[in-house]
Amino acid sequence: MGLEEKLPSGILLTNVERIVNYTRANSLWPATFGLACCAIEMMASGGPRHDMARFGMEVFRASPRQADLMIVAGRVSNKMAPVLRRIYDQMSDPKWVLSMGVCATSGGMFNNYALVQGVDHVVPVDMYVPGCPPRPEMLLDGILKLHEKIKHETFAEQGARA
Amino acid sequence: MAIDPTAAHTATPAATPPATAADLDDDIYVEGADWESVVDAVSDDHITVNMGPQHPSTHGVLRLVLDLDGETVTRLTPIVGYLHTGIEKNTEVRTWVQGTTFVTRMDYLSPFFNEAAFCLATEKLLGIEVPERAEVVRVILLEFNRIASHLVWLATGGMELGSTTVMEFGFREREHVLDLFEAQSGLRMNHAYIRPGGLAQDVTDDFLERSAALVDLLTERMRDYEDLLVENPIWHARLKNVGHIDADTCLRLGVTGPVLRAAGVPWDLRKAQPYSGYERYEFEVPTRTEGDSFARFLIRLEEMRQSMHIIRQALELLPGGPVMVDDKRIAWPSQQSLGADGIGNDPDYIRHIMGESMEALINHFKLVTQGFTVPPGQVYVPVESPRGELGYAVTSIGTNKPYRVHVRAPSFVNLQAADVMARGQGVADVVVVVASLDPVMGDVDR
Amino acid sequence: MSHVTPVPGTSPSVGAQLPTTTTGVAGRSALSLDDIAQRITVRFPAVRAEQAFGELTLHVEPDDLLEVVTFCRDDDELSCELLSDLSGVHWPAGEHTIARQTSTTGWPDYRVSREQGVVEVLYILRSVSRNHHFRISAGTVDTSPRLPSVTGVYPTANFHEREVYDFFGVEFDGHPDLTRILMPDDWVGHPHRKDYPLGGIDIPYKNDKFIPPPHERDLREVID
Repeated sequence: MGLEEKLPSGILLTNVERIVNYTRANSLWPATFGLACCAIEMMASGGPRHDMARFGMEVFRASPRQADLMIVAGRVSNKMAPVLRRIYDQMSDPKWVLSMGVCATSGGMFNNYALVQGVDHVVPVDMYVPGCPPRPEMLLDGILKLHEKIKHETFAEQGARA
Repeated sequence: MAIDPTAAHTATPAATPPATAADLDDDIYVEGADWESVVDAVSDDHITVNMGPQHPSTHGVLRLVLDLDGETVTRLTPIVGYLHTGIEKNTEVRTWVQGTTFVTRMDYLSPFFNEAAFCLATEKLLGIEVPERAEVVRVILLEFNRIASHLVWLATGGMELGSTTVMEFGFREREHVLDLFEAQSGLRMNHAYIRPGGLAQDVTDDFLERSAALVDLLTERMRDYEDLLVENPIWHARLKNVGHIDADTCLRLGVTGPVLRAAGVPWDLRKAQPYSGYERYEFEVPTRTEGDSFARFLIRLEEMRQSMHIIRQALELLPGGPVMVDDKRIAWPSQQSLGADGIGNDPDYIRHIMGESMEALINHFKLVTQGFTVPPGQVYVPVESPRGELGYAVTSIGTNKPYRVHVRAPSFVNLQAADVMARGQGVADVVVVVASLDPVMGDVDR
Repeated sequence: MSHVTPVPGTSPSVGAQLPTTTTGVAGRSALSLDDIAQRITVRFPAVRAEQAFGELTLHVEPDDLLEVVTFCRDDDELSCELLSDLSGVHWPAGEHTIARQTSTTGWPDYRVSREQGVVEVLYILRSVSRNHHFRISAGTVDTSPRLPSVTGVYPTANFHEREVYDFFGVEFDGHPDLTRILMPDDWVGHPHRKDYPLGGIDIPYKNDKFIPPPHERDLREVID
C-alpha cells in the first residue's frame, strides 16, 4: 500500500510531533507550588501509597525554570496572584498548568474579597481537577488525562498557548 | 624593652614604618559622608536576601526577608498574607453550622481542632452540653489528628533537611490515620464532622476495632522514627543548639504549644482548662529545658505517644447513646445512615416529616435553610492544637449567623519568634528554625 | 549558650519587668473572676466589669488602657504573663437586629452603641503561672479609630495589632511598624469592617445567565 509495507522489521514510522509529545508527556516535571490544603494532598500523591513516581513525575522541581507543569494546589489570594504569574512566566516553554481543587478552579466556597475567583484569570489552565481537596487518586487521574492531552497536541497549539 | 600594655594606645603614627608610594597606590582616598557609607556597606558584607513566598523549605507560602552578615542571620522578617482567604469574614454571612465547614479549612493539618474549638464556642454561647459519646469520639479524633499533624511536621521537616526517608515514613502512617477519618466523616481532610451540639453522624460499627488496630500500628511504627532519628548524628548536628528560645521570651512573644513546652513551661490547655472531658484522661505534659529544635522534636515525639495513651483510655471509655444533643431546635434533624444503594438516608425520619407531622416538616426546613439562633454575647474558647493555643473569639448578636469570628491562630503568633530564634544562626539554620516552629500557612493567614 | 537577642521594637527593660515563670505553672491557684474584677476595679474605679458565659470582661477607656494592661502584667496577684489574643469587632452606627431579638427571646441585653460606630478591640490576658484569663475591651470611634499600642507591654501584640489595623483600620499609637500584614500593601479599605462588602463575584444560577468558559469570559461582565 505505501511505505509501511516495504519497511524491514524493527522500524517504526511516526512524526516528530508525536515522538516529541510522547517524551514530553512521560517526563513531566511539576513545580513545587503548594498553596493550601491541596498541597498536602499533592505531597501525599508523592508519598508511598499513591507514589507518583510510577508516572515519571516524582521529581518536584523547586525552581520553576526546571519545571514543565505547575500544579496550582490551593486557593490563590490577591496577594499571591502576581507571584503566581511571575512563577508561571519563569517556567520555560512548553508548560502546562493544572488547577487542583475547587478553590484554584473557581474560588470555590470562598467567594469573597480575598481570593482570585479562579486561577484562570491569571494563567491559562489546561486541566481542572475538582474536589475539596481532591483525593490523590483524583490528582493522578487529572495528570494522566493531561498526559493524554499533551500527546495529542500539535506544536501549533502549544505555540499559540505560550 | 618591657612590654607596656598601654603603650599601643598612645603610640604615635610615626612609630609605624612610613608608607611607600606602592602602598598609597593600593588605597583609595576619598572624602565625603555619602561615599564612605557606600564603602562601608560593601566592605561589611551585609546583604538582604529574600526567601519565598514560593520556596520548597518554607512550609507553604511564607516569605522571609533575611538580613545577613556573611553567613550569619542578623534579622529575619516574616512576611505573611499570601494565603489570606477571608474565612473570618465568610463565616459572618453563613449559619453557625455552615461555619464549621469554613473553619475546618483554616489549619488544614489539624482540621478537627478548628471544628472542635468553633463548636465549643458555639455550644458555650448556646449553653448546651454535648452527649458523652460525642465528647469521647471528639477526643479520639482530636488525638488522632494531633498524631497526623505531628507526622506531617516530621515528614516535611525531614524533607526540608534533606531526609527523604523521614518524609516517606511520615506520609505512610498518615495515610492510615486519614483512612480512619475518611471512614467516619467521608473526607480525608476538611471533615466538618464535629458540629455544634455533637457530631454530624455516629461513628461506624467497626470504629473501636479500627482505632485500636491503628493505635497498635502507630505504636509499633513510632519505633522506626526513634531508631532513625533520635541517635542520628546528622539529625543532632542540624537540630541541636539551633533555634534556641527560652521560656521568658516565649511568653513575651506569645509562643505556646510544643515550643513553649520545649523551653520548660508545662503549659497545656488540656490540663490547665480541660474541655471535652480531658480531665478524665491520664496523660503527661512532656517538657524539656533545652529550648532548641532538638528538644521540640523530642517533645513532639512524646506528645504522639501521650496521644496514643489518651486514645487507648478513650476507646475503653466510649459509651453508647446519641451523638447529638436532644434538642430539636439545634440538632441536625435526621441521623442518616448509609443505605444499601450507597446513599445516605433515614426512612423513618422521612416517614415522620412527610406523613405524620407538619410541624416537624416546618422545623426541618427552618433548621436546614435558616439554622438556629444563638444568644448574644462574646466568648473566647481556646483549645490545645498541635501548634499551641488555638482560640476562637466569637461574637454573637442573637441571629442565626455569627457576628464576628476571630481566630487566635497559634502559627500566626508563633511566627513572631522566628526572628529571635534565627538571629546569630547560619542561613541553613533558618530552615530548621521555621520547620521546628511548624507554622501552617492556612492557619497564619486564615 | 543563648542566642536570644532583644526583640525589635521593645525596650530591653520590658524583659526585666516580666516575672520569671519557668516553674510556677502548677504552683499557684487561679483567682476567681470576682477577685480579678475587684482587684482591678479597686485600683481603677473607671473600669466597668461584666461577667457573662463564665467569662469576665473589663471595659476600659482608651486613655487608661496602657496603665491597666501594665498593672495586669506587673501585679503579683494577677501576673498575666501572656497576651493570648487581640482582636477587633466593628459595631457600625445604626439599627441592629439585636433589639428585636432581645425583646422576643428574653436573652440578656447586649451592649451596643448605635448612635456612633465603634471598633471594639478585645484583649485576652492570661496568667500561665496562676491559670486564669479575662478579657479587656476598649472601644474607639470607627470614623477615626485610634488606640495606644500595647507592644511596649506585650511584644506579642505586634502582629495582632497589625492585623487589627489591616482589617479595621485602628491606628495604634506607638506601634513600631504599623503596616498591613495579611492584605497586599496597596489594598484600599479595611475588609473586616461591616461597611466593607464581602466581595467576590456573583454566581447567577437564575434565568438564562451562566458563566462562560474562561477563554470566552469577560471579567467585567461576570462582576456586573
